[in-house]
Amino acid sequence: MSYVKAMLAVLLLLSGSVVAEIAIIVHPANNASVDQSELNRLFLGRGNSFSDGSRATPLNLAEGVPAREHFDTQVLNRSSAQLKAYWSRLVFTGKGTPPAEHPNAAAMKAAVAADPSAIGYISASDVDDSIRVVATF
Amino acid sequence: MKKSILAISLVSVLCSGVASANVHMNGFASIKGGMSTASDKSLYGYTNEWDFKNESLFAIQVRSDLGDRLSVTAQLMGRGSNDFDARFEWAFLTYELSDTMRINAGRLRTPFYRFSDFMDVGFAYDWLRVPQGVYGLGFNNLEGLSLYRTTQLGEFDSTLQLLLGSFSGNISLAGNPARADINNIAGVTWELERGWWSVRTAYLSGKVSIDAPGLAPLFSGLTQAGVPDLVSALDFNDDQSQFIGLGITMDQGEWVLISEYNRINVKNSFFAKRENYYLSVGYRFDSITPFVSFEREDHRSKSDIYQPYTPLLPAQLLQPVIAVVESQSVDTKTWNAGLRYDFHPAAAFKIQYSNEKNTLTDNRSDLVAVGVDIVF
Repeated sequence: MSYVKAMLAVLLLLSGSVVAEIAIIVHPANNASVDQSELNRLFLGRGNSFSDGSRATPLNLAEGVPAREHFDTQVLNRSSAQLKAYWSRLVFTGKGTPPAEHPNAAAMKAAVAADPSAIGYISASDVDDSIRVVATF
Repeated sequence: MKKSILAISLVSVLCSGVASANVHMNGFASIKGGMSTASDKSLYGYTNEWDFKNESLFAIQVRSDLGDRLSVTAQLMGRGSNDFDARFEWAFLTYELSDTMRINAGRLRTPFYRFSDFMDVGFAYDWLRVPQGVYGLGFNNLEGLSLYRTTQLGEFDSTLQLLLGSFSGNISLAGNPARADINNIAGVTWELERGWWSVRTAYLSGKVSIDAPGLAPLFSGLTQAGVPDLVSALDFNDDQSQFIGLGITMDQGEWVLISEYNRINVKNSFFAKRENYYLSVGYRFDSITPFVSFEREDHRSKSDIYQPYTPLLPAQLLQPVIAVVESQSVDTKTWNAGLRYDFHPAAAFKIQYSNEKNTLTDNRSDLVAVGVDIVF
């Protein structure tokens, strides 16, 4: 019995660490709050403002960065290939451009820390006080 | 040649003197090859010899942000079916009236169908080609204005498009090369999306004039025979046309279901009353998406145009009239099966088998095609 409990505890810890793997980040002065459906709107080009009406600039990590894949599948619920197909529908019809990409967490933090409208994401382990975390997934 | 010079100069104008951050260059390409299995039949331009040119294409798009909500976009495309001669498929200015409203002006894609805007971007969908039974009308582009408005309506994402413009170009009419003009094109499309579901409606109308030199002798013969009313019931002379389209998509993540229906009519002309639809079902196994689809084309020729004249006209005039009217009749059913394989983040491999049954002639034609779609 205690063995089962121990296993459950380990599983919970493991799943907890998976859930909190990425942090959605904004400029420290940005007090916005976002939920998953707003993140979908912003990162799929369907909206470009926070819920308080101020302008939002979504930023992606480059393809191939593990946190990008986690964000695509867990937050946007789409595979990277599906998202590429989705954006090709907008790009080649003049209806939108995908978020700008940054190569790694350091570049992402620097970009978000420099732009009050920016919203991005990084691996939770890369969080520091140059940026503010608004959600984790 | 002239077009390529124009293209190069446009591209250089777009690129010159502008910081690269304001110029976005993208492209897409498809390399497709196919053959029909029967020696005496062809389908979608393929014969029983492997052909890698017919549906292959290359395109480059340049978009330049001019600041203050104004941008210019040009898409230059070379199609294998046209010897890869590059031409502008799209060339337009965009002005963002607000965050949710934009106007495009210039050469645009006519938004008849769900996939009209990106029908050439094979990477954007799972099939090897958009369903030809529904997408085969032609008149794919127009010159004009389009207003897009995207909004949230409660739980729905709404995209409304209003359109004004005209088309002029070369087409084929009852086997004759012809010059077509569609004026006063006005249209509205509306798409509502929520979760897995998306529903789209389109309505377009325009005044169609078609000048086919091959048909002129017949029409003048009929006029001389004293039946000008028959001529005006047959010809395309500023005749009112109407396109109604409905589409529904369900994308549950694994299962993908797509269906479209349309209905087309050109009044006072021998253009058949057309009804077309397709239904497609696919399933995503991670990077592999197999699908099957069924297409139906039902074009009913307007036999009632000539029926009142059958006792009146001499056979040498009546027979060609009947031939022209009945040439518009189409009744086909097509089955497709294929798959998409995302073997690379920016490239997809496709294979598709199509089998078309022509009920009027009781002929079957089929086609195997493979291809790679790329975006860059």
